[in-house]
Amino acid sequence: MPIEVTMPKLSPTMESGVIAQWLVKVGDAIKEGDALADIETDKATMQMKSYDDGVIAHIDHAAGDEVALGARVMVLAKKGEDPKQVAAGVTGAKKPEAKAAAPADAAGNGKRPAEEPEADDGEEAVAVSGGRVRSSPLARKIAAEARIDLARVPGTGPGGRIVRRDVEDFLAGKTQAPAAKAPAPPKSAPAAATAPAAAPRTPIPAARISTAPLEEKRIPNSRMRKTIAQRMAQSKQTVPEIHVTVDVRVDKLAALRETLNKELAAEKVKLSVGDFVTKAVAVALRRHPALNATFEPDAIIRHGEVNIGIAVALEEGLIVPVLHHADELGLIEIRRGSEGLAAAARGGSLAGEQLSGGTFTISNLGMYGVKQFDAIINLPEVAILAVSAAEKRPVVEGDAIVVGTVMSLTLSADHRAVDGATAADFMRTLKNLLEEPARMLL
Amino acid sequence: MSAFSYREALNQAMTEEMDRDDRVFLMGEEVAEYDGAYKVSQGMLKRFGPRRVIDTPISEEGFAGIGIGAAMVGLRPIIEFMTFSFSLVAIDQIVNNAANVRYMSGGQFAVPIVFRGSSGMAGCLGATHSHRLEAWYAQIPGLTVVMPATPADAKGLLKTAIRSDDPVIFIEHEVLYHEKGDIPDGDHTVPFGKAEVRRPGKDVSLITYSRSLKPTLAAAEELAAQGVDAEVIDLRSIRPLDLDTLIQSVVKTHRAVIVEEDWPYCGLGAGISDRITREVFDELDAPILRVASADAPIPYNKQLEASMLPSVPRILAAVNDVVYR
Repeated sequence: MPIEVTMPKLSPTMESGVIAQWLVKVGDAIKEGDALADIETDKATMQMKSYDDGVIAHIDHAAGDEVALGARVMVLAKKGEDPKQVAAGVTGAKKPEAKAAAPADAAGNGKRPAEEPEADDGEEAVAVSGGRVRSSPLARKIAAEARIDLARVPGTGPGGRIVRRDVEDFLAGKTQAPAAKAPAPPKSAPAAATAPAAAPRTPIPAARISTAPLEEKRIPNSRMRKTIAQRMAQSKQTVPEIHVTVDVRVDKLAALRETLNKELAAEKVKLSVGDFVTKAVAVALRRHPALNATFEPDAIIRHGEVNIGIAVALEEGLIVPVLHHADELGLIEIRRGSEGLAAAARGGSLAGEQLSGGTFTISNLGMYGVKQFDAIINLPEVAILAVSAAEKRPVVEGDAIVVGTVMSLTLSADHRAVDGATAADFMRTLKNLLEEPARMLL
Repeated sequence: MSAFSYREALNQAMTEEMDRDDRVFLMGEEVAEYDGAYKVSQGMLKRFGPRRVIDTPISEEGFAGIGIGAAMVGLRPIIEFMTFSFSLVAIDQIVNNAANVRYMSGGQFAVPIVFRGSSGMAGCLGATHSHRLEAWYAQIPGLTVVMPATPADAKGLLKTAIRSDDPVIFIEHEVLYHEKGDIPDGDHTVPFGKAEVRRPGKDVSLITYSRSLKPTLAAAEELAAQGVDAEVIDLRSIRPLDLDTLIQSVVKTHRAVIVEEDWPYCGLGAGISDRITREVFDELDAPILRVASADAPIPYNKQLEASMLPSVPRILAAVNDVVYR
């Protein structure tokens, strides 16, 4: 029996993947573990690997297609099977099961493109026919590198084909997606005093301009940005959040950190405050399994592992790689693990497992000198910890005011799963651990 | 560096090689007493005598076969076909013997032979004198196929062909014989498998060879006036093909038009287009277009003949299609 290869789940929230690039072609002999394609998920571009040996008899999708999770992407002929016969026997050539919303008819003439054009006669007036975006290979390559959805780019080539200059114009903000085309604002105010309804910006007199004027720019949303938008909105709109903030005195932790870093200098390891927070959170989660959980309508799942997601800011968005079994790791392993994940995130080379299985997330903005903030829960987890900067503040000690190093931590918790007292109790444990770091050893 | 005609360049190459190596000889119809149908072998009989410049009867299969046999036993024949259209009579010798002997003898025999002669639009000589058969020969493993466009390449490539230990199909062009150009002094040779960028550009790659170089360069000049910077590549060597130069060019320009005088169906441009597409598909911003001769026998009538060949307007039209103007 030939093997049907399906779209794998490469990230925990993935519902479909875009085939960014095929790395194999029909007729290729492949072995288990061979990379088949680059798949763009909602999080990152990752390689889809083969679980089987065989010869590729049939490929269902072209590069650029969006394919639903579990939908067939190719058929492999096993050893002893004739790939040609297998290909001939392939039925129900799967169409892309999920498709980016096609832009509205660019010409605005109300003609609906045919569902599936019978023949490619090159005469269609619109760029999108049957959901297929006509584009040159070069345009596709540039779009993939810039992470833009070609369906949003108006094509000016023959038959509406999107070519390089279209993508470049789009990236430069010279053109807009056809669907989003707003009525063009008047170029300049008419000289006569016919006050336009929507007044154009009054030009600033030249004398008052001290720097170059800001340029209005339209930046198309990447898949990652769209995912962030959708998931953040979903979290904020569906989760009744509770926020619990504690101030943590971290003088002892700072001293410990200094001592340890001296010891570790030879090994070129430099522990950050964040590493201590990660360690403390991992220890605290073991003691408060209610926070190491997932909420589902009919059950709360308390996880058997403590896998901490560490939010990493990228130029194009935000990604949360996961430090697995954080509770079993020492500080050095946490440092190295976080560094590795952050580097992989920035290099776009995170593997699927590094993006999945998180049970709790930490978001740290301490390096920006933030005093306190609330993070949005990374669904389906039930809580997230916002970490701010450790800074010198006046602290009341007995009846005296002294200078102490203080850090504010805020827990956002899903009140459907976590009650205020539970959240507060967790935060008290966390505070204790960080104020007396030796307790982490207990 | 001095200016000579294409036919003089070929004459120089043969003369110099026959001076250098007494195993080299020339054989064909009217190459001796008549000084060559196109006067390419002018003066050679006088210089080398009837043992080395040999007139043959109209018997292409016979003298091609004799040449192959002579090459197998150590001589270095140059076989002139009055036109390559007539080489079809000898095609069994060329394809079944010349191309295969080294392979089929397990390397015991080589066939160092040059089949040369004119080809292409001949100027009102009708269909059977005007064929372009480079795609036929280029398809055969074991044959090298070269097609010079300039006097310098005509001389340089022919000298390399005569020195080659394997059979070379050396296709000249009827209307180029009188074209003049500079030829470097001394022992000028041009290696096989090296294309020449005749005009650098960045907007579109025009890939051509032989007679079509001229209209292609003229088209490039017109394009420059219109703001399109075309790169013109002269293949010179049809097989082996200088894929590297082609790919470098397409990676730069992202568009290609192949200008070839042969017929379009399964023509040379089809093979070149296939190689480029496979190698650098992601660099292409437009389909590769081909400007070839019309898919018909070549007419006798002058205007009809001219109209079916690649011309400046046809090249401009193709370029406009790939740059989307």
